[in-house]
Amino acid sequence: MQYLIQLLISGLAIGAIYGLIAMGFAVIYKSTGLVNFAQGEMTMITAYIAWTISTTVSGNVFVVAAGAILAAVLLGLIIERLVMRPMLGEPVFATVMVTIGLAVILRSAINFIWDAYPHGLDIGMGRGIVHLGSIGVRTGQLAVIATLLLLLAAIWAFFRYSKVGVAMRAVAADDRTALLMGISATRVHALAWAASSVIAGIGGVFFALSYDLSPAMFQLGLKAFPATILGGLDAVLGSGIGGLLIGITENLAGGYLGSGMKEVAGFAMIIVVLMVRPFGIFGERDIERV
Amino acid sequence: MIRHLAAASLLLTTACLAIGPAAAADPGITDSEILIGDVEPLTGPPALLGVAASIGHKIAIAEANAAGGINGRKIRYVLEDDGYVTARTIQGVKKVIDVDKVFAMLGISGSGQSIAVMPVLEKSGIPTVIDVAPVKFLWEPPRKNVFVVGQSYEEGIVHLVNFLADKNPGRKWGLITQDDDYGITVRDGFDSVVKAKKLNVVYSGNYKKGQQDFSSDMLQLKESGAEVFLAGGIIAENIAMMKELEKLSIKPVTGIFWPGRIEPVLKLMGPAGDGIYAVDYVEPFAGAAGKAFLEKAKPLVSEAEFKGINRYTMTGYAAAKVLIAAIERCGKQPTWACTISELEKTKNVETGVMAPISFGPGVRFSNQKLQIMQADAATLSFKPVD
Repeated sequence: MQYLIQLLISGLAIGAIYGLIAMGFAVIYKSTGLVNFAQGEMTMITAYIAWTISTTVSGNVFVVAAGAILAAVLLGLIIERLVMRPMLGEPVFATVMVTIGLAVILRSAINFIWDAYPHGLDIGMGRGIVHLGSIGVRTGQLAVIATLLLLLAAIWAFFRYSKVGVAMRAVAADDRTALLMGISATRVHALAWAASSVIAGIGGVFFALSYDLSPAMFQLGLKAFPATILGGLDAVLGSGIGGLLIGITENLAGGYLGSGMKEVAGFAMIIVVLMVRPFGIFGERDIERV
Repeated sequence: MIRHLAAASLLLTTACLAIGPAAAADPGITDSEILIGDVEPLTGPPALLGVAASIGHKIAIAEANAAGGINGRKIRYVLEDDGYVTARTIQGVKKVIDVDKVFAMLGISGSGQSIAVMPVLEKSGIPTVIDVAPVKFLWEPPRKNVFVVGQSYEEGIVHLVNFLADKNPGRKWGLITQDDDYGITVRDGFDSVVKAKKLNVVYSGNYKKGQQDFSSDMLQLKESGAEVFLAGGIIAENIAMMKELEKLSIKPVTGIFWPGRIEPVLKLMGPAGDGIYAVDYVEPFAGAAGKAFLEKAKPLVSEAEFKGINRYTMTGYAAAKVLIAAIERCGKQPTWACTISELEKTKNVETGVMAPISFGPGVRFSNQKLQIMQADAATLSFKPVD
């Protein structure tokens, strides 16, 4: 039983990180209809910036958090303005290819700006181990689970009650009608890129805290993408939950079926789910009237 | 008369054929400089080894140039990035040979990349010294123009597992390896000792390259009751494994392999990394030879490059020293044929960073002496054990 609980807790912790990055995918898809293949790289860049702040400015958790959020907002806005906005109206395939190109550039930037060595993000907390009975958990792992749950609630409230959230939903539903109603689609797109960058960046910072920073961190995007597909590409909250499911599934498969099964379990799960619900567990069925 | 002319022509033709293409000025050499090419991963996670190895080459080249170059010719280093992508390695090697027209090659990238590029190297006939990833295929069978400085992965693992087995008789063993050619080599070396010493292996895992979370794997290791553990990850994987073991409150006797034996790893492992064993054929930086090497390197590289120095810098340095010495022995007019012949005559060349290097007729592998080291978390260094 203790073995199972340990697997579940570790699965929830890594799943929460996948969930945050998956929400980043979903926010952009929901607002722009685009799959951002540079999501993992954006996550990594924010984590590296957080590490730079911690080693050069201050290791205070609030300074690092504020700096990282600000940097993530700027990163999202810059990418939207310089790279994505010029692609408005272009075929989706071309736009997706641009995000793939962006991913390669951001990945290479790590070596040019920083280096290839792994680094530890030290902000004076998150690395300690707490024992729940005989089960050991890092405080950063507990914090990321709590953060995901808080963000899920906050984003639900944002989309439901805030004017900006309703505007984003309107643009997602029908951008032309939204435009006629006085909503600026470009502003909504910019906001979506900034929000996506921040949410995924939080996941990246928690990953760096619980594990380490390395140029291989971009691969988190590849792990989080199945979570988005599982939860529903257009379902922000569903993607977060999808991350938790993938994390738990991976860990249970690794713990009971063997190490080799760990990496394929999540993908096997989405194949099964998509056969039954092609739009994901929480995604909306796309109905076209002829 | 005609008979004499025909005989003279025949003699001339034979002489030309005997000297071969080397007699015509070989590429990469002018009155003032000699070009040495290299292809390494300079971007992406494996840049950790590629950048460090290239710094080692630069140190040896800077040292030679400071002493007047090779018989008056300065050495120019042509470095290409392959991003650890095999197709780009082949492209890069072709480029430095055909376009940059280098005289000799150093490097080259990882084990898979070196293997893939071997036909290009063989066909070109360019003198090459490989130093980054020594695997048997590179010297078995021996290729005329390709020399390898280092020790085989298999021998390294066998040496480490033998040491740990002798030190921990009757203990239960655990092993985890990566699902690629590197992991297969580690596993093969491990299995050979398991068979010979009849080790009791209670956990055997195999993870997918790129895996970052090892919570379930290390939990399985704990459940198996393993007391001696061979962590077959490279860098980030070994760090993640050791931190998971710390979280699970267990500390088996742990061995790691040389690709992960770099000092920053110890900082990231923290107390969890204290006392882990490693095997290597280059000197640890904490020893007298390591310190002397760092002193030598400091004025020859930039501050950023100095920070990038790790064990691969030593392997790169040693290979470049051997190559430069061979070209130098060819005198004022070095050729490919002479360089290859002089490389073959390399005997007990001292580099200061590993045991003396030797090749020989039909011997293209330097077969370096191995040593066991142990991590000291307090000083963030590896210290020799035996």
